Amino acid sequence: MTPDVATPFPLLSLLLWLPLGGTLLCLLLRHSSNLCRWISLLTTLTVLVVALGMAVSSIGGSGWLFYEDAAWIEPFGIRYTLGMDGISLLLVLLTALLQVAAILISWRQKQRPALFYALVLVMETGIIGVFLSLDLILFYLFWELMLIPMFFLIGVWGHENRVYAAVKFFFFTLAGSLFLLLAIIWLYLLHGGQTGDYSFALDALRQTVLTPGQEMILYIGFMLAFIVKVPLFPFHTWLPDAHTEAPPAGSVDLAGLLLKTGVYGMIRFAFPLFPAAAQKSLPFLAILALVGIFYAAWIAYVQTDMKRVIAYSSVAHLGFVILGLAAWNQLAWEGSLLLMINHGITTGGLFVMIAMIQDRSGTRELGKLGGLWTVFPNLSAFFLLFCLSSLGLPGLANFAGEILVLLGAFKADPLWGGMAVAGVVFSAAYMLRVVQSALWGESKKLARNDDLAVREWLILVPLAALVVLLGVYPAPVLEFLREPVSLLLETGGMP
Amino acid sequence: MENLAQIAMESVNFQAIMPSLVLCCFGMVLLLVSVFLERGRTAPICWLSIIGLVVTGIISINGWNDPQAGFAGGVVLDNFATFFNLTCLIAAGLTILMSDSYLHREGYPVAEYYPLILFTTAGAMWMASGTDLMTIFLGLEVLSVSLYVLAGFFRGQLRSNEAGLKYFFLGAFSTGFMLYGVALLYGVTGTTKVAGIAEAIRLMPDASSNPMIIAGAILLSIGFLFKIGAAPFHMWTPDVYQGAPTPITAFMSAGPKAAAFAAFMRVTYISLDSLQVDMSAMFWVLAVLTMTIGNFVAIAQKDVKRMLAFSSISHAGYALVGMVAWNEVGFSGILFYMLVYTFMNIGAFAVLVLIGKQGEDNLTLDGMAGLGYKRPFLGVAMAIFLFSLMGLPPTAGFTGKFFIFAGALKAGYVWLAILGVLNSAVSLYYYLRVMVYMYFRDPVEDFSWVKMEMATIVSILIAIAGVLYLGVLPGPVMELAKLSIF
Amino acid sequence: MISVYHYMILSAILFAIGSFGVLTRKNMIVIFMCIELMLNSVNLTFIALSRHLGNMDGQIFVFFVMTVAAAEAAVGLALIIAFYRNKESIEVDDFRLLKW
Repeated sequence: MTPDVATPFPLLSLLLWLPLGGTLLCLLLRHSSNLCRWISLLTTLTVLVVALGMAVSSIGGSGWLFYEDAAWIEPFGIRYTLGMDGISLLLVLLTALLQVAAILISWRQKQRPALFYALVLVMETGIIGVFLSLDLILFYLFWELMLIPMFFLIGVWGHENRVYAAVKFFFFTLAGSLFLLLAIIWLYLLHGGQTGDYSFALDALRQTVLTPGQEMILYIGFMLAFIVKVPLFPFHTWLPDAHTEAPPAGSVDLAGLLLKTGVYGMIRFAFPLFPAAAQKSLPFLAILALVGIFYAAWIAYVQTDMKRVIAYSSVAHLGFVILGLAAWNQLAWEGSLLLMINHGITTGGLFVMIAMIQDRSGTRELGKLGGLWTVFPNLSAFFLLFCLSSLGLPGLANFAGEILVLLGAFKADPLWGGMAVAGVVFSAAYMLRVVQSALWGESKKLARNDDLAVREWLILVPLAALVVLLGVYPAPVLEFLREPVSLLLETGGMP
Repeated sequence: MENLAQIAMESVNFQAIMPSLVLCCFGMVLLLVSVFLERGRTAPICWLSIIGLVVTGIISINGWNDPQAGFAGGVVLDNFATFFNLTCLIAAGLTILMSDSYLHREGYPVAEYYPLILFTTAGAMWMASGTDLMTIFLGLEVLSVSLYVLAGFFRGQLRSNEAGLKYFFLGAFSTGFMLYGVALLYGVTGTTKVAGIAEAIRLMPDASSNPMIIAGAILLSIGFLFKIGAAPFHMWTPDVYQGAPTPITAFMSAGPKAAAFAAFMRVTYISLDSLQVDMSAMFWVLAVLTMTIGNFVAIAQKDVKRMLAFSSISHAGYALVGMVAWNEVGFSGILFYMLVYTFMNIGAFAVLVLIGKQGEDNLTLDGMAGLGYKRPFLGVAMAIFLFSLMGLPPTAGFTGKFFIFAGALKAGYVWLAILGVLNSAVSLYYYLRVMVYMYFRDPVEDFSWVKMEMATIVSILIAIAGVLYLGVLPGPVMELAKLSIF
Repeated sequence: MISVYHYMILSAILFAIGSFGVLTRKNMIVIFMCIELMLNSVNLTFIALSRHLGNMDGQIFVFFVMTVAAAEAAVGLALIIAFYRNKESIEVDDFRLLKW
């Protein structure tokens, strides 16, 4: 359970609090937007470097790669426990990478830049905290902490309907997480009453003896929060609004990272804590996921706003992820997690590109776009690459995850697998529609006609490289996932 | 008869009333000093009263873990009383800090204001340490009479007149109920001592069906519930809060409310312990009613001060949840929550004090538009307080609610906790709306009239520090709250 | 024979009249008098019970109630006068700014 050797240097805490330090600096130096910009870029880059360093140093490691534990709120047995296994490592890496992209894409932020960068950095702390916490209250704290900056990012820097979207986003996710809080406290009291040891540690709470009824209620409490965040059909309605209205960096964070926290919550907390209830719920999850895949694909097809198309495509892809979880086998879970990471990169890339296109053409409406290929060959090539990855072209990132999910789903229930394959076809339809109407056809009026700038190359090349790399050679990622996933599946447990 | 006098003399123990005694002395000396100051010069009195609060605070802290009883068991200075004393002192201190510039702006630089706050605080401290219904009643009245004056302090302002009068009438009305309850309990038990009543009730075979006891308990509770502002006795709260001078509103919502909770807890928990089942059931209904009414009516408000008044009703409801729980966690949760509430609510009002124009007609939602950009510090401060009022981590509002709801869940009141949490969700709506106006709307006005008064800023900073400290590292204070249960 | 019950019933009636008056009357002075009536009915209860129980506590309580009521009267009447100066009225219906 708890590793014998404590980490000599609190790397996890460093990773966690570094962005917050950057936030404070930004707020202090808010009068120089140039300085803020560089501070935030350096902060995110440092986090990325630290995370990469940790990844390299822990290749081949097992159990908790890093672990920290300290007393925090003693009267309630709340501890400051952080742990990193392969799954959290990959998600933290993804976070660090996408945050760099988010900062770079908003490099020219003119409206209140200091506050903007500060909020993006707070968000990074929140997300990393969610991926690292092993104490349920600590987890809840970061879970809520993600919410606040996102609310402001959408509400202040968003587009026309931003206030509506921000409030809707806040309500949906908070309403879900309040049930999570109640369930956490109830579980804590049940466990404390049984053992006399009042603790919020995930490890300890797993030992709680629950009646099937209690287990189901608690499980539903946890899952409500996570399902809303994922979001699974029919709780997805906040997502398209939030996406459409959010500024580019917000969209990148939202699609690339926030949605992943829901899935992470399921595999790290909901499933291991309530294995029996989880088993019972799998068919329902699969049905919701499949309905979501088709429904989202169908809605995506009729959208005219590119951001909305991608938003619905996220709902569909997360449907695949959940389907993989519902299949409950090693192959499918590895696929789900891989798809999650790949989707983060692909969709992050797509949102970045949409921002660039909007910059140049002044619109995201498919009807008003066209013929970009002739004007911006480089930009269009990247866009095509991300779109193809998103629709699941073999050899690109999403395909690698999807195929594993499909294989796993077939193993679990051929019917699920069969329907999911049909879903892949659907997703091809709407993505191709985007490509066709944006890149080909007649050129429309443009605001600018310069192709990619250096800064934009810097964002796109690494993302594109990863899309290709993870598509043809996902083995290193799977290597990190193998042990934690099998542990989670077999013992419902942790390292 | 001579026996009685002897007992009274023998049991005099000034240690037991030292904090409130010192505060009263300060108040009276300050009244005297103010006579010799020229009219309109209030700053010295302001600072002297702060010194008085600090001295009292030090004396209170010195009494920690050293319980003193005195005056024939009418007063006891235990940890419970000390915790509430400190809460009230903090409330008074923060209020006084933000008051001076406010009084000058509104055109009432009258020095008697500060001694009145000190007397109110002394009354509150009496209530918290009273163990005889007589002392509790006296404390309550000292507190109330000073507060009537403070609520109606702006003599020439009709709004303030109305607030003072309304508070006076309903306060006196509720006092009548409370006294009648005391009289009935006295009739059954033959004593007004909190512990004596408990003893007498325990010895009665059919206490929970004795009409005099039931009626007494209910009437007594009504008196306290009025002071707390719990539904259905909350009608005065919004009007009085809106009409009273803003610092007084802030103070009323925190200090006196905490004191009323203190006395209420002591009386119910000790005297009426045998009626636990019935009392808990009553509190259950009241807590739900209070939370819900407060929240749903707050949604409709356009005036931020009035909205905060309704929100304070709902917060009284959350604290009542701790009363329902009737266990150690719930009770210490109330102690903790009152402290938390003092910081976050007074902080929010302090921001309002700064951004108000003379007459305070601009404290509407529209008047907040763009505040976050024109006055970044005030915007951030208000945002922190609002997030805390919502109950989001890592602010004190979260840990406070957590503490209380944990108590309710521990006692098995799952539905109550769920209703409480749902209510928190509803409350998001109106708190968020203020945020939406502050940050998502473009500034209509330039807030050029806002003077960043040093003292008020200090009180806001203290409140922020309190909210964040109790939110991030609540452990030590929670420990103290647990040690404070009698 | 007049027993403690008669006093209790009388004071209960007085208390009810007082509280009814507070809720229905519109003139502030009358409302104020009704509140005094309530307090005095409480005093009557205390004294009757004190006599009945042979215990002095109740009578001491009455002294406190009377003192406090006097203090309240001073403050209350002052508030009414302040209101009258601004509004030339002592009707609660004239509470306009804040709904009654």
